[in-house]
Amino acid sequence: MLKQEINDLLTQTGPGTPMGDLFRQYWTPALLAEELPEDDCPPVRVKLLSERLIAFRDTEGRYGLMDEFCAHRGVSLWFGRNEESGLRCSYHGWKYDVNGQCVEIPSEPDERHSSLCAKIKLKSYPLVKIGDVLWTYMGDPKTTPDLPQWEFARVPAEHSYTSKRWQECNWLQALEGGIDSSHVSWLHSDGLRDDPLFRGAQGNKYNLTDRKPFFEVVESDGGLFIGVRRNAEDGHFYWRITPWVMPSFTMIPPRGDHPIHGHFWIPIDDENCWVFTYDYHPVRPLSAAEVQAMQDGKGVHNEFVPGTYRPLQNKDNDYMMDRAAQKRGDTYSGVKGISMQDASLQESMGPIVDRTKERLVSTDSGIIMARRKLWRAVEALRDDGVTPPGVDVTHQAVRSAAVVLPKDQSFAEACAEALRVRPGEKHASV
Amino acid sequence: MSAPATRAQPAGPHQPTLLASCALATTAAEASYRISYPEFARRSSRVIALGAESERSVRAMGGRLWGGGHFLVFESAVPGDALLRYAGAGGTALLSEELADADTVVMVASAGANPEAASVIGDAAAARGIMSAGLVLPVPPGSGGSVNELVSALRPNAMVLVVLRDAADVPEVLSALRV
Repeated sequence: MLKQEINDLLTQTGPGTPMGDLFRQYWTPALLAEELPEDDCPPVRVKLLSERLIAFRDTEGRYGLMDEFCAHRGVSLWFGRNEESGLRCSYHGWKYDVNGQCVEIPSEPDERHSSLCAKIKLKSYPLVKIGDVLWTYMGDPKTTPDLPQWEFARVPAEHSYTSKRWQECNWLQALEGGIDSSHVSWLHSDGLRDDPLFRGAQGNKYNLTDRKPFFEVVESDGGLFIGVRRNAEDGHFYWRITPWVMPSFTMIPPRGDHPIHGHFWIPIDDENCWVFTYDYHPVRPLSAAEVQAMQDGKGVHNEFVPGTYRPLQNKDNDYMMDRAAQKRGDTYSGVKGISMQDASLQESMGPIVDRTKERLVSTDSGIIMARRKLWRAVEALRDDGVTPPGVDVTHQAVRSAAVVLPKDQSFAEACAEALRVRPGEKHASV
Repeated sequence: MSAPATRAQPAGPHQPTLLASCALATTAAEASYRISYPEFARRSSRVIALGAESERSVRAMGGRLWGGGHFLVFESAVPGDALLRYAGAGGTALLSEELADADTVVMVASAGANPEAASVIGDAAAARGIMSAGLVLPVPPGSGGSVNELVSALRPNAMVLVVLRDAADVPEVLSALRV
């Protein structure tokens, strides 16, 4: 349970809000690189943290992210012409460079032109390609952190695949699904049997035979490690360890030699978020079959309405609910696919769930601790200017792990190395 | 919102009727019609300190307003049971009495925690089908013992373990659980 004022504090991320200020301390996934595939390609509308922006790639290949609307009459620059190193408004021809600086006002006399242009600059943010993602930093330029070092974005391009989908609810309830390990044995039980990106792993049998796991939540420098243990062979536990790094990065424990995957949960506004979903293998390229499976919406990816980033299964078609499949046991909830099984239930809570009404239990301790750490970080930033966890790139050097350990061993001790990025070394997986 | 004027056709697999559809049901306006339960049954939790250091945290919490939670300190094992002391308020009770109507037991451990206490309480909770959780607080430097030792002692006896870096988080964790 959360008091309403704390729920508001954590769920509102627009300009000037405490949680919005916290998000603006980080490099944030803004869009996929594939959305701006070539120089002078069409611009893309982007809404992030309740700010309407336009992204474009200019003639020299520079990326820009700036206020969507022309300073002149407030026309959307989505209608603009991306040409000759700038984005030109279609209404009267005002032109802006990737920094939002106005560089041309064709209607003005030549003698006044440069002085007037110099006074007009749209709000803009840096936009940087790392891996498959274009990242932005929307905070104070004077405190721009080091560029992101997440392993999925830093491995060779052929080792990694990233997709994104629109989720129609607040970012926090979506994130909380990513750190709620207790639902996996129920909602996603079908995926462990059938999905090409999960099946065949030794660890799956532990998941399917022990449906009453025990939980261990340990704080880390960047957030949390959430360990879930199930019975394994005599004298051993099977541990699945999920890192959460503030504010919204999660990584799902791996299965066998399958790629590792996880999510970034990024607020669009207070009632919508982007879910960036990555899959990567630290030491080998993804196979053609794996990439095809990801493109087909397997694993933690999903299918899309053609030409969009909206899931094919969405609230307008009741997520293609299949009651017959539910009754047969093909799926637990009747919804196909792991990501849409999660999204359908999270969206069913409403745009911003009323956490004053919830009844948490001990197995929700990961969620409770994540909220608490977010709350503390928001207050420390607001009151004392303390940089929050997760900004420091050393906090980003984490991996998930799936291991079998003797019963008397602490996962935090035994897996200290496995939970760190070790370039060139395989992930710990069963 | 008014109902559609015409009768809905029988819904196929992907043809939801408007009033029952997810598109309408997930709006903020519809969320406001959720039923409230102001008198929802209180949880009956037992928060038990396992030693002197954790007693300070538990005693401090006992002064706050809580739902149905009891705040206790483990005193000693007795044959087939354990003796508990009410934190702050004084008086004693048997563990078996306290667990009679409990639905959750939260063990709080820090430096000086009695390892036997976790075993006695965990076994008693398991025998009664009561959810058991453990909160491990920071161990002050020089106080002897370590967080890892506490975790090892609690692991077999708690279904959920949370290792905290700041004891000040304990009230918030318990509040979230509606102790």
